Amino acid sequence: MTLAIETSGLTKRYRRVTALSECTISVPAGRISALVGPNGAGKTTLLRLLAGLARPTGGAASVLGTTPRQDPAFLAGVGFLAQEIPLYRWFTAEDHIRAGAHLNPRWDAQLARDRLEELRVPLSQRVGTLSGGQRAQVGLALTLAKWPRLLLLDEPVAALDPLARRNFLALLASAVADAGGALTVVLSSHLIADLERICDHLILLSGSRAQLCGDIDALLEEHKVLVGPRKDTAPIERAHQVVQRQTTARQSTLLVRLGGPVIDPAYQVEDVPLEELVLAYMGAAEAPAGNRLTAMGEAS
Amino acid sequence: MTWLTWRQYRIQAAAAGVLLAAFTVMMIVTGLQVAAQWHSALSACATAGAGACPGGLPGTLSLGSRAVGFLVIMTLGVPAVLGILLGAPLLAYEMETGAAGFAWTQSVTRTRWLAVKAGWLLLAAALLGGAVSVLVTWWEGPDNALQADAFQTGRFDIMGTVPVGYSLFAMALGIAAGALIRRTLPAIAATLALFVTARALVAFLVRPHLLAPVTGYFPLGVKTVPLGPIWQLTAGFVSGAGQPISLPQDTSSQVIGGLGGRGLPVNLLPAACQALAGPGSGGARPSPVASQAVTACAREHGIREFLVYQPADRFWAFQGIETGIFVVLAAVLLAVAFWVLKRRDA
Repeated sequence: MTLAIETSGLTKRYRRVTALSECTISVPAGRISALVGPNGAGKTTLLRLLAGLARPTGGAASVLGTTPRQDPAFLAGVGFLAQEIPLYRWFTAEDHIRAGAHLNPRWDAQLARDRLEELRVPLSQRVGTLSGGQRAQVGLALTLAKWPRLLLLDEPVAALDPLARRNFLALLASAVADAGGALTVVLSSHLIADLERICDHLILLSGSRAQLCGDIDALLEEHKVLVGPRKDTAPIERAHQVVQRQTTARQSTLLVRLGGPVIDPAYQVEDVPLEELVLAYMGAAEAPAGNRLTAMGEAS
Repeated sequence: MTWLTWRQYRIQAAAAGVLLAAFTVMMIVTGLQVAAQWHSALSACATAGAGACPGGLPGTLSLGSRAVGFLVIMTLGVPAVLGILLGAPLLAYEMETGAAGFAWTQSVTRTRWLAVKAGWLLLAAALLGGAVSVLVTWWEGPDNALQADAFQTGRFDIMGTVPVGYSLFAMALGIAAGALIRRTLPAIAATLALFVTARALVAFLVRPHLLAPVTGYFPLGVKTVPLGPIWQLTAGFVSGAGQPISLPQDTSSQVIGGLGGRGLPVNLLPAACQALAGPGSGGARPSPVASQAVTACAREHGIREFLVYQPADRFWAFQGIETGIFVVLAAVLLAVAFWVLKRRDA
C-alpha cells in the first residue's frame, strides 16, 4: 500500500499561535479522505503545508513521495483549491482555462470547458461577476483540469447548493474510481453527512492536533457506545479509552475506543454513527480535563 | 507565464502605447517648430552682423509654447507613475485579492512567476522611460544650447539615460513595497514617498559630489568665462594670500566683480583701493570709471575670483553614474522582493 500523504510531527507555528502541532497522519493512495474539525482546528494550515504553499516550523511531510516544495514537478502533481476560490476577478473562466494551459505540463482544457458548460456557468463572463457557487464551480473545474495525483480541497462544497454539492461529490467519487488508485483526495468540510457518502478515510483535527486518522470503517469498528447502569467506570477505563461519557441518575453512556472485547455483561454495546464519533472527539479535545458533556449530563 | 502577464497587462500596455504615440507626435511637431525658431533666430543674428548677439542668442528668447514646455517638465513624473500604477500592484494587488493563489497552485514556482512578471514590467519601464527621454532630449536640444545649464535639476533629470534608471528603480521599488506590504494602496503610498525621497536625496545631496568638482581662478572683473554650460556649485573671491574671502550676507558697501553672482564689497579691500570707489549706496556698483580703478587696484593686491564647478563635458559622465546608482538600487530592491516571496508562506 503506497501512501499519498505521510506526516510526522508536522507543526506550524505563527508568531503567537500554533496552527498545527505534532500532526502525524497518513493517507493511502487512492482514498478519499475527509478532513474534519472545528473552526480554527488547523485544517487549512494542514492542507497548505501539504500543497507546498506554506513551510512547516517542525516535523516533516511526504506528499506523493517527496517533501512539499516549490518545484514544478511537485506542483504539477498536486491540485489545491483554497476556500476563498482564488481567481483573477477580472478574467473570464475561459481566460483561466487558457492560462492553465500555459502554466501546467498536463492540462485538460476540454474537461474544464465541458464541465462548466454542463453546469451552465458562462465561460466568457468575468468571474468577479459570477455567483459564489458558480465561482466555486470554476475553481473546481480548473483544479480538476490539472489532472493532479493528489487533490486537496478546502471546503470545496461550502458555496454550492445541495444539488450541486451532491453532483460534485459524485463526480469526485467517480474520478477517484476511474483513476484506479492514481488519484487521492483530501477534502475538508463541516457537512459530515456529505463526507460520509463518498469518503473512506478520516482525519480529525481539533485544537491544532490530529485526534483521529484512519479508515472510516475501521474507526467505526473500533469505537462503540456502551450503555449500562451508573456505576464505577474504572474497570472500563482500564480496558478501553473513554472518549465521551454522559451520565444520568441511573444510566451511563460511554463512547469508547475499544481496547479489546467488552466483558462486562451489564453494558449494552452499540454502533456509533460517524457524525456522533466526530462530534465526540471534537468535544473531547475542547474540554480535555473534566469533559463538559459529563457536567451537563449530571445537571439535567 | 508570459501569456498570463500579457493577459493581465494588455490594457495597460495599450494605454501606454497610445499615450506614448500621442506624446511622440506632439514632441515631433512642436520640436520641429522650436528648431525652426532657433535657426531663424540664429540666422537673424548672423544677418545683423558681428556683435549683434554677443555671447550667442539672448537667454530671454522664448522657444515653443508654455503648455508644451510644462508637459515636457512633467515627464519628470513618468518613472513615479510607472512604479505606482504597475510596480506596486504587481504583488500587492494579487495578494490582496487572493488572485495570486490561482497562479501559485499551477505548476509554476512563485520565484518563476515573479521573475517573468517583473522581467516584462521592468523591460516595459526601461523602454517607456527611454522612449520619453529620447524625445525630450531631442526636443530640448535648442533650449539646452540657449540656456546652457543642462545640469539644472529638472532639466538634467528628464534627459539622457537617467530616466531609464529612474524608471527601473521606481518599478523595482513598487514591486518590493508590494511584496513587503501586500496591500495595494499602502504599497502605492510607500512607493511614491520613497521614490520622491530617494530622488531628492540623490539630486540634491549626492549628485554634486559624484565627481570631485573643479576650482577655477579668474582675474577680478571678467564679465564671462568661456567654460560653456558648466554646473556652478560655489563662487567667491580669494585674497592675495590665496585665502577665500568670506562675504557678509548684507553689505553697506559698494561692490565690484562677481562672476558667480555676488559681488565683492569694497570695504573688504585694502584701504588704498577703498578710497578709489567714491561715494555710493550699499550693494551698488561704483561708477564705471571708479569701478575700473578699484578693480585694477584689487588685482594688484592679488585678489582673484574663483568658481567651483563641474565642467560641461562631464554631463554624460554624470548621467552614466546616476543611472548606474539607480540601476543598482533597483537590483537590490528586486533581490528584496524575491527574498521576501521565497521566505514567506504563500
